[in-house]
Amino acid sequence: MLETGVRQVRVAMAMVFGRRMNPRLVERLVDDALATLHEFGSPGEDVEQLVDGPFSDPNERRDLQTRALRRTARRLRDKSAFYRERFAAAGVDPAELTLESLRKVPVTLKDDIVTRGADMMCADPYLSTQTTGTTGTPTRVWLSRYEIELWPALIALSMLLRGEVRPGDCMQINLSSRATAAVQEDVELLRLANASARLVGQVPPDESLDQLLDRTGAVPTLLSGYPSYIGQLVTAARRRGLGPDDFRLRSLFVGGEVLSPTLADAARDTFGVRQINDNYGVTELLPAGGRTCDGGHLHLDLNMGYSEVIGLDSGEPAGVGELGTLVVTPFYPYRECMPVLRYDTRDVVRVLPEELDCELAGVPAVSKILGKESRMLRTSAGIVGTREVVETLDTLPGIEWPSRFRAGVADDGRLHVVLAASGQSPSDVVKAFADRDIDATAEVVELSDDEVRRFCPLRCDLREETFTRAPAPKETP
Amino acid sequence: MSTGQQIYQTGVTLAIAVAVPAGAVFYFRRVRVPRPPVGTFNGRDILVMMGFVLALPFVYLALPGWALPAVLALVFSGGLTVGYQPVVDRTPVRWAIILSLLAVDLAGHQLLGSDSPVYWIANSVVVGMIVVSATNLNVQGGMRLRHIAWFVLALAVYDLTFATVIPLTQKLAEAIQGYPFAPSAGLRVGGYSAVIGMGDLLAYALYSTASYKAYGRSGLRLAIVLVAVFGAILPTLAPPVIDAVTGHRPELIPAQVLFGPAAFVGYLALRRRGPERRMVELPPLPAAPVPAAA
Repeated sequence: MLETGVRQVRVAMAMVFGRRMNPRLVERLVDDALATLHEFGSPGEDVEQLVDGPFSDPNERRDLQTRALRRTARRLRDKSAFYRERFAAAGVDPAELTLESLRKVPVTLKDDIVTRGADMMCADPYLSTQTTGTTGTPTRVWLSRYEIELWPALIALSMLLRGEVRPGDCMQINLSSRATAAVQEDVELLRLANASARLVGQVPPDESLDQLLDRTGAVPTLLSGYPSYIGQLVTAARRRGLGPDDFRLRSLFVGGEVLSPTLADAARDTFGVRQINDNYGVTELLPAGGRTCDGGHLHLDLNMGYSEVIGLDSGEPAGVGELGTLVVTPFYPYRECMPVLRYDTRDVVRVLPEELDCELAGVPAVSKILGKESRMLRTSAGIVGTREVVETLDTLPGIEWPSRFRAGVADDGRLHVVLAASGQSPSDVVKAFADRDIDATAEVVELSDDEVRRFCPLRCDLREETFTRAPAPKETP
Repeated sequence: MSTGQQIYQTGVTLAIAVAVPAGAVFYFRRVRVPRPPVGTFNGRDILVMMGFVLALPFVYLALPGWALPAVLALVFSGGLTVGYQPVVDRTPVRWAIILSLLAVDLAGHQLLGSDSPVYWIANSVVVGMIVVSATNLNVQGGMRLRHIAWFVLALAVYDLTFATVIPLTQKLAEAIQGYPFAPSAGLRVGGYSAVIGMGDLLAYALYSTASYKAYGRSGLRLAIVLVAVFGAILPTLAPPVIDAVTGHRPELIPAQVLFGPAAFVGYLALRRRGPERRMVELPPLPAAPVPAAA
């Protein structure tokens, strides 16, 4: 117990003073958390403060974040040619940076990483990870050994203390194997948490279901995947007549795409999961991210990064109720190799009031991601985001998840949706939008599997083929 | 020492040695102390505890006479406020009770003298309460019977060494004599005297409470018998017996020399019943009574 206290103090000092953390130290804290759970069954008091940080006081939050930003900016000035230029051009002294003067530094865009990635390297690269490229050119991000060791330990600690993972759990990982950082992080954090992993990838949904049903070895209790792939799994499971009694799943971890409440409910009903963790994570910003509360807010991690919401049109901080893109600066010492400052995710959110009534009320929040800025639809009645379209289409009776569609704004300023589906009528689609006070026109088209993937590519299309269900190759004479 | 004095010493020692562990177990069954988000007692904590046990006598002896009661008063008040926070939640009320207890203790000593029964009763209550709270902070913090068994065994070696080879125990007893807030419990009435050290009481309370936690009532029964026999009766009866046999009455029989090995053997016997219960396996505490509606 005394040792644990000393370790906690050492980690807290590293956080406050921005010193490089010893990943072994955090791993030992994970062991301490495991011992605590073994003895008591749950963490002790004030665990929220340990996990989420002392951020309920706005002044304390501002002070801690200003210091974290300064040390991050100082390091970028010293080690990154790209940001050295940026600071000089903006006339900003990193050592004197404030939350206000930070806005003088232009945001970093994905194109900057693609074109100037080499000038952003601040440490020896070890592992490259690549974005899936669903919204354009894939971005390659390099990670250091330190990051690869530290992140899983930090995440394992917080997940254990929040009860999101327990010793003995088994997570089936249905992420694309090209998402190396996320997959590596999951596998390693499960090892640290005395849990196990079934690394399945994005194989055909029926093979995934077979793995979920398999009773040899560790049986999956947690499932990780993209919402579109989860949609395919739910559809396949229902087609096979499978229900909650067939699975031992407790929680679902999703991210990277919109998860509609309808699909979430369907996943609960089909797999019997009690908890769905709809997390926000961007490869360029890891390990800074966010998680969704029961109230549907996205609470951003204040320990590891500073978040801003920049108005869609104004370029200034968005006010309460306004839409803006999420701009995040991950802090040193969490991000080491290829850090970014003011990275504009182009993910659109709505700014929420400071005071919220949810289980994570101590951590400021924004709305869930509404969609990419480039896909916001400026109709005559207002802006419609991808989330609204997905959430509406997913409610259509008989729809096969994931919904595939294209949406645009018609000449008359109304929303126009083309849905790729069978057995749906345009009038039902129009009515579904009307029920949400969205004036829309609709078409329904029937497309082949290949056509539908080209029509509306989703992360579930990053398929990994196997020989299990593929037709046997022709024998050569 | 007369037979009457001997019976008095054995009886009072026995009563205190059993009462304090019983109080600790009562507290354990009724109250849960707050614990940190992460952390449970482990073997290295025992090493740290032994380090304190080794260092504290030297610190006490190094302190000037007037400073010792001040340090002890601070330690006592700190221990009481941490341990009884779940019992008396309101901080001002808790501190008022603690300061009153310490005031009675001090006043009894200053006004009636260090041999006064009033002082000894007040001091014994304070010491007993601290032992109860310290025991529960440790056992409810995850300390296991295995840890205590090794701890008391190490204490036996320590006590034997510092009572015979290096006469530290005797020096310490002399150093704290006559000052208020003595780290011991007992009662002096006329020529009759029985005193038991706080460290011994802590060892008995830890062993009994951890035995109860690990093996329930049967564990507690064995622990209380061991405390009574090897922690109270034998250490008080040993000097006259040795005197009768050898013609030389030893000044001091450190209780842990007898209790440590017996407690360790007791642990080995209990261990055969299976693994120790963890805190998570204990039955829930009885619900607090709901105040009747007006």
